Amino acid sequence: MSTSDGYILLVLTALPFIAALLLMITPSRERTAIIAITGLSSFVMFVLSVYVFQRYDWHSSEQFQGVLAWDWLQNVGFLGEHGIQIKVGIDGIAASMVLLTGIITMAGTWVSWKVRQRTKDFFILLYIVVGGVYGTFVSLDLFFFFLMYETAVMPMYMLIAIWGSTRKEYGAMKLMMMLVAASILIFTGIFAIFTEANIGSFDLTRLYAAHYSREMQIIFFPMIALGCGTLGGMFPFHSWSPDGHASAPTAVSMVHAGVLMKVGAFAIIRLGIQILPEGAQFWGPALITVGITAALYGAVSALKQTDLKLMSGFSSVSHMGYVFMGLGTMNVIGMTGSVLQMFAHGVMTALFFLLIGAMYDQSHNRDIPNFSGLAKRMPMWAIFFVIGALASLGLPGLSGFVAELHIFVGAFRAYPIVGGLAVLTAAITATYLLRMMSQMFFGEFNTRWDMLRDVTWAERAGATVLVLSILAMGLWPSPWVQRISTTLAQTIPGVSL
Amino acid sequence: MSMAMAGILIAIPASIFVLLALTWKVLPRGGDFLVVLGFLAVWLLGLGIAADFTKHFHDGVFAPNGANVFSFDWINIGDGLFHIQFSTWVDSITVTMIVVVSTVALMVAIYSTGYMHGEERYGWYFAALSLFVTAMLTLILSGNLLQLYFAWEGVGLASFLLIGFYWERQSAAEAAKKAFITTRIGDVGLLIGIVLLWRVAGTFDIQGIIHFAEEGGFDKTYLTVAMLFLFLGAVGKSAQFPLHVWLPDAMEGPTPVSALIHAATMVVAGVYLVARMMPVFDVVPTAREVVLYTGLITAVMAATMGLVSNDIKRVLAFSTVSQLGFMFVALGMGAVGVAMFHLFTHAFFKALLFLGSGSVIHATHEQTVEHLGGLRKKLPITTWTFVIGSLALAGIIPFAGFWSKDEILHTAAHSHPMVYVILAGTAILTAIYSTRVVLLTFWGEPKDHHAYEHAHESGPIMAGPLVFLSLLAISSGFVIFHSVGAALGFPGGILETIFTEEPEVFHFDPVFAATAVGMSLAGIGIGFAYWWGDASRAVRARAWAPELHALLVNRYYIDDLYQAIIDRVILGLGNIVATFERHVVNEAGVDGGSQLIGWFGMRLKFLQTGRIPNYALAMAVGVVVLAVMAFRSA
Repeated sequence: MSTSDGYILLVLTALPFIAALLLMITPSRERTAIIAITGLSSFVMFVLSVYVFQRYDWHSSEQFQGVLAWDWLQNVGFLGEHGIQIKVGIDGIAASMVLLTGIITMAGTWVSWKVRQRTKDFFILLYIVVGGVYGTFVSLDLFFFFLMYETAVMPMYMLIAIWGSTRKEYGAMKLMMMLVAASILIFTGIFAIFTEANIGSFDLTRLYAAHYSREMQIIFFPMIALGCGTLGGMFPFHSWSPDGHASAPTAVSMVHAGVLMKVGAFAIIRLGIQILPEGAQFWGPALITVGITAALYGAVSALKQTDLKLMSGFSSVSHMGYVFMGLGTMNVIGMTGSVLQMFAHGVMTALFFLLIGAMYDQSHNRDIPNFSGLAKRMPMWAIFFVIGALASLGLPGLSGFVAELHIFVGAFRAYPIVGGLAVLTAAITATYLLRMMSQMFFGEFNTRWDMLRDVTWAERAGATVLVLSILAMGLWPSPWVQRISTTLAQTIPGVSL
Repeated sequence: MSMAMAGILIAIPASIFVLLALTWKVLPRGGDFLVVLGFLAVWLLGLGIAADFTKHFHDGVFAPNGANVFSFDWINIGDGLFHIQFSTWVDSITVTMIVVVSTVALMVAIYSTGYMHGEERYGWYFAALSLFVTAMLTLILSGNLLQLYFAWEGVGLASFLLIGFYWERQSAAEAAKKAFITTRIGDVGLLIGIVLLWRVAGTFDIQGIIHFAEEGGFDKTYLTVAMLFLFLGAVGKSAQFPLHVWLPDAMEGPTPVSALIHAATMVVAGVYLVARMMPVFDVVPTAREVVLYTGLITAVMAATMGLVSNDIKRVLAFSTVSQLGFMFVALGMGAVGVAMFHLFTHAFFKALLFLGSGSVIHATHEQTVEHLGGLRKKLPITTWTFVIGSLALAGIIPFAGFWSKDEILHTAAHSHPMVYVILAGTAILTAIYSTRVVLLTFWGEPKDHHAYEHAHESGPIMAGPLVFLSLLAISSGFVIFHSVGAALGFPGGILETIFTEEPEVFHFDPVFAATAVGMSLAGIGIGFAYWWGDASRAVRARAWAPELHALLVNRYYIDDLYQAIIDRVILGLGNIVATFERHVVNEAGVDGGSQLIGWFGMRLKFLQTGRIPNYALAMAVGVVVLAVMAFRSA
């Protein structure tokens, strides 16, 4: 990837904000214009994301590629040389995440055109979230990293409270309060890093090169991990996630569970593991414990959920548990698995929320026991759902398996018992998903739902894009694995293969 | 014909699957002709590979322990550390499996065009069939344990889709779920076993692991544990005790599917896996003993359950479970060639029996044996082919099942006398239940006249495969003879080339064989005694021991036990966790935390009274405290 590709990264970050600005000056009644702006911009984002992913060269020994930097503030106050910069660049992990964001934004945009209430405002806020997400993934400056991180989180409150359903005020408030509380920990951690490095700069590459005492790393790694982990749905600070998802509108659930939760896990790698590797080594076992607990806990909770979205929410807690488990193994295989799982879970959970939304918008009911034989009425819907569920339970050939395999293997290298438990979790996942499907999709059709229609063309297109991504990674995972594993092996000092 | 065709073998059904899955609704006849032609190509190619194999074998170019034909990297981290290389491996075991899979698949595809005619999702059925064959061929050609797992789950998926083919029926949906989850428990073991082997050997390559084990690279205890985990996968897939519960329910699927997947191919994947890994099992005899006794328990148990089942397909399912038990017994004694030989013959006669039962069901729309009867006049071809299959199953000379079962009994008699006695008893039971089904279905008086009146033979499309398979059920055992083997191009008979790398001697002992046939005949005699005519003696026998009958009908209450475990223990655990989540994490933790802050706010707000004297007092106290502190530090 050449330096000029860095401009693509800038464009990617700016484009959602520009689209949001354009939407602001578009009159609300011009639905066609709104659709045109969002459709075009999300498509361009998708294409650029694929381009960025494809252009990232994993043979190169450079850690970050497409690096561009401009000084913004320096030599004032506590800031030294290159204090705060606008600096972009990606590694293999960020490249995968950029691709994920592109895919989910495009699919989420398509299915959101059916939002009838204040469509324009919805898209403005949604695109601010997306811009923040891109910004976080490509920032190489800690200041802007955190700024973008918060930009991505904040609009969630309004998106859920205004366009949500069921207990939307409660869900929105709970999500916001927990995430803001978590941000305090990150904020503290960032300043601890800044002070300890003592170079007067927020430049991430300079911060990576700086020295941090072992004690400092051990004290502050958990702050970063907990702070970012809360956004990633880390047990036991996950409880915003099922409630938040249950009340959020479709596209918000998709972007939130699909991408935003990954920003949390991504931030653990960027700030926690890459800057404070000794701290991460020290706390690795704790991270694994939290991860496997979450995986089992989420899966067992999901067994008893009757609300489809809550089940999906707990499933997310379980799957994100794998991510933390993989990070805790502190070996390249397990951590590669974590990043793969971030991608895989992002895509499949977006697919779930897309489909649940497609049904809920018509039925206004998500109670699993109320349905039976839906495959009769909504065959395409059921097929997409089954593919998503199979990916989720780790069927080989679909993305979930590739990710889980790496995590299992990494866990087996670190602690065989944990590896065994992790594989067992996959069996529990199969149980709750199949119970749900055999109840809802199969059996005799319940005529109460005669008015339901199969997925619309927009939903079908969105689901197809997501399913193709699931298949692509499941059948040919090499592009992801190579980018991620070489990055991890290069950038984390002291990490074992 | 070259050995490199192995890759193409997989590519044919794979491309048909993709094509049909996307377009079956618009293709004429749902694209079934593509599947039949494709499977025909696979069959011819498979026979070509087998012929090629024997030719190379003959020349001595091609070692009996196979050849890595084709490979590419799937995942490679750390330059070979975590390296998954997809490859095809062709050796004697593979070739046997190719012949079995491609032959039965072709017959089933042809038969299905008649049997499934007029189904709403006709094309989808054939798409799923192609998916199954793709995965099955990948499984048997795998040179790599992870690739094998990949395909292992693939056949499980196809089985799930096909068991649940009539998903509008709640029972079919439940059966599909049960099959998937039960085999999934086995698969957990398989994956753990694979990763445990990799952890020490550093490779997923099967031959690499075998070498590593033979050179003593593994700790014995560790290897035993790993192999037992691996075997758990085989137990699940091959429906062995205690994971046998899914196979009888799997009969909810269309009957041709039962013939292909749940009799001839997928359920023998476990046998294949153990046979493939036998050199490693040889290193740890304890694990092999477990294989032996698992097979033995299953063989007996399933045969007794087969005695009382009233569903023609379920009797066959129990019989399959029991016969798979025989194969595992052979494997447990280390006789790979014998086990593979029984797999080979069993595939043909059991597929024949299933297709025959399908013909009955197609003709009468009835599968409860107690409602059938007297069908031999209406369905002559079905009857006589079914009888051939049953004789093969019962082990009557010269039908195929005799030769392979005789080999198993012979092996057992020489090394494990007790095992031999139990297996011989099971063989008698086998003859009894086979006779029972034949008599109740095809002889006696018709019980349901409506079904009987409408019954008629279903034409050459369905009769053709029956006849073809019945020929194999008669003849496939003959490959054991040196002369037949030599005629087919195998030097010195089949057991010494095709089935194993270390030749096992074919033991034909007239006295021994006569005993075995005698026992089978005795079983048939008992069957006639009880079920010939109005079966009054069977009714009396049932009344004599109702508890025993109930125990068998309820399958030893194992299914009920599992259901109770799921309902009480697992869902109970789910309840506890859900309650914990709601009350502790949510209400006490999050909501409680916010209420606590609110409560403090409520209390603290009273400090803000708005009265000057209060503030002045607080200020005065503050000044005094600060003054004292300043004074003390100075």
